[in-house]
Amino acid sequence: MAPRGGRRRRGGPWRFERQVAVRHLVAGGGQTWLTVSAVAAGVIIVIFITGLIFGLRQDMARLLTESIAHVTIEVAEVKPVPLERVPGAGPGPSSSRLEQQAPQEKAIDDWPRVLDIVRAVPGVRLAAPVVRRQAFASRGANPIGTTVVGAEPALQEEVAPVTENLIAGRYQGLTSEEVVIDAELAEDLSVATGDRIRLSSNTGASDSFTVVGIYSRGRGRGEAYVTLRTAQSLFGLGTSVNAVLVKMVDIYAADQAADRIMALVPYEAKSWSREFPRFLDALKVQSAAAYLTSAFSLIASSFAIASILIVSVLQKAEQIGILKAMGARRRQIQTIFILEGLGVALLGSLAGAAGGTAIVYALSLVEQPVRRVGQTPEQLFPVAILPVYIALAVAAAIAATVVAAYLPARRAAALNPVDVMR
Amino acid sequence: MSRWAPEPPRPFWPNGHEAARDGRPIAIETRGLRKTYLGKVPVPVLHGVDLAVRAGEFVALIGQSGSGKSTLLNILGALDVPTGGTVLINGQDLGRLDDDALADLRSQEIGFIFQEHYLLDEFTCLENALMPVTIHEGDASDAQRQRVVGLLQRVGLGDQLHKHPDEMSGGQNQRCAIVRALANAPRIVLADEPTGNLDSTTGAEVFALMRQMNRESGVAFMMITHDDRLARAADRVLLIEDGLVHEVDETLHRPGPGAAR
Ligand SMILES: Nc1ncnc2c1ncn2[C@@H]1O[C@H](COP(=O)(O)OP(=O)(O)O)[C@@H](O)[C@H]1O
Ligand SMILES: [Mg+2]
Repeated sequence: MAPRGGRRRRGGPWRFERQVAVRHLVAGGGQTWLTVSAVAAGVIIVIFITGLIFGLRQDMARLLTESIAHVTIEVAEVKPVPLERVPGAGPGPSSSRLEQQAPQEKAIDDWPRVLDIVRAVPGVRLAAPVVRRQAFASRGANPIGTTVVGAEPALQEEVAPVTENLIAGRYQGLTSEEVVIDAELAEDLSVATGDRIRLSSNTGASDSFTVVGIYSRGRGRGEAYVTLRTAQSLFGLGTSVNAVLVKMVDIYAADQAADRIMALVPYEAKSWSREFPRFLDALKVQSAAAYLTSAFSLIASSFAIASILIVSVLQKAEQIGILKAMGARRRQIQTIFILEGLGVALLGSLAGAAGGTAIVYALSLVEQPVRRVGQTPEQLFPVAILPVYIALAVAAAIAATVVAAYLPARRAAALNPVDVMR
Repeated sequence: MSRWAPEPPRPFWPNGHEAARDGRPIAIETRGLRKTYLGKVPVPVLHGVDLAVRAGEFVALIGQSGSGKSTLLNILGALDVPTGGTVLINGQDLGRLDDDALADLRSQEIGFIFQEHYLLDEFTCLENALMPVTIHEGDASDAQRQRVVGLLQRVGLGDQLHKHPDEMSGGQNQRCAIVRALANAPRIVLADEPTGNLDSTTGAEVFALMRQMNRESGVAFMMITHDDRLARAADRVLLIEDGLVHEVDETLHRPGPGAAR
């Protein structure tokens, strides 16, 4: 019932509640700033951690997208089979294991057909037939092991770019007499472009090549690139290849694509995520760590807010009493304190968003010391400024603060005027 | 409306019918009001109070310290609930109202003045005086604002409108609190020792203002006081003793010195 008419509202929604909340915050001074800082700190931590973790994740994803095949199709590797499981094999005296006879030529002879099939699999961006084998590179005495990849330069650039990582020389227009090697191998062999090196396969075949390009992807040892035909003859594969490298549109769709391919062709298709499970695990662990850290920092700041608001409710008890004596409803008192929480949350999370973004941006400008001449400088901290996560951090902080304000607000609303005005 | 003795002596039997006989509606009525504070040791305070205050009356409530004056006033103002009996405010049974309805009743029917002014530090004198309007309506209309500014001018605070409570004297703050109690134009004002914190001169001024407001606007006042002179200036004096309320016939029974303080 409303004694003289219902409650009209003038001056917009919660005019009274807003006014009291704003005055409390303004009059709160240091206490208000403390609460705002607690929220801001929470948001900064969230933006910083997610920026760092997701930056790392993006960096890894970029590495994946750019420099490794997402699915590799090869002739199935022969696995040792326990003797008992080999049909017809009795208990032998010499070994408990028996190697199945490997096919003489581990090659994909029908690769044009395989390419047609693979290119039709959904999500496949491209498929490149390659010859990829271990070999020795030498210039004079000691040979050094390296992986030789024979591929059409145009396709190779798509699987793992070479030209953009060149320190010296060229890759495009590679002839059958030429090779492009990575900077580490060049250093170990002490060769420069224009020098000649020898590549020897494990079957004994060998040939001599002119180094026309030296590249570096900045991470470990790379491969030596020759043309497809050169590699086919070096490893005695005729017109066959021994691998088809597949790039996906979405790297996380590689598992499904690999399964699909396995069902369609008589070869083994391995996704990057199965080949390097730790890599995937690391990505997952990092994301989990980011979410957990974010959650904990938000929880911590909402506890700070809750405790500060509880103190403020106690300080304001007498005032709450008089407001109720003057006709304020429970709901109105509750709204005042929720609005105070909301005000703190807005100020704090916006300040935190600005601060966090500034910190992450500053970090993103820090560059790794350049180790090799010509190497493009890389970020020391691969941080990412992700507007979505900043918005999420702000939204989460606001939600956490309002939740934190709820309890003190209810407490305030339940105060009895006669108990607090004595 | 009459003030001093002019009213003929009448036997006090606070009973609705009796009180209604003189034509004015009853603003406050209690029937068999009981209150016992329930704690580890129950403290019985009111033992069945029957009283009636008519619209526009100025009633003083006296009694020894701890006799239950504040308890009674808080119950009348819907700030506390009785253990038994009924309270009717402008004919409405408080026991039948829910929390929001009680809040609305406090907002519209009743104004409170306490020993302490309880003005909000964060607000100016004018904002404080308008607070009941703000609570109820969100923002004051021009008419309401004008009315409250007018009242503040009438109590001599015309030049203090934008000062905060800590910038004003105790007497000024209490005068502001009086205007605040009248902001929503209630029909009843409950005042618990409103002059208790003021020196006697300031207290007399503040009392005179309340009496003036009472006469001008016809608001019923129920005022707890320890000051005999102030009590004598009321229309009627009620004494609370041993948990019951008695009418004090001023011409016959002067409350003894023990009654105050
Ligand atoms: N909340 C309470 N709990 C228990 N006892 C109370 C409470 N409030 C008041 N009392 C007791 O009730 C009696 C009346 O108190 P009160 O109404 O404040 O007296 P007065 O205003 O006349 O001085 C006193 O004995 C006091 O101690
Ligand atoms: Mg008292």
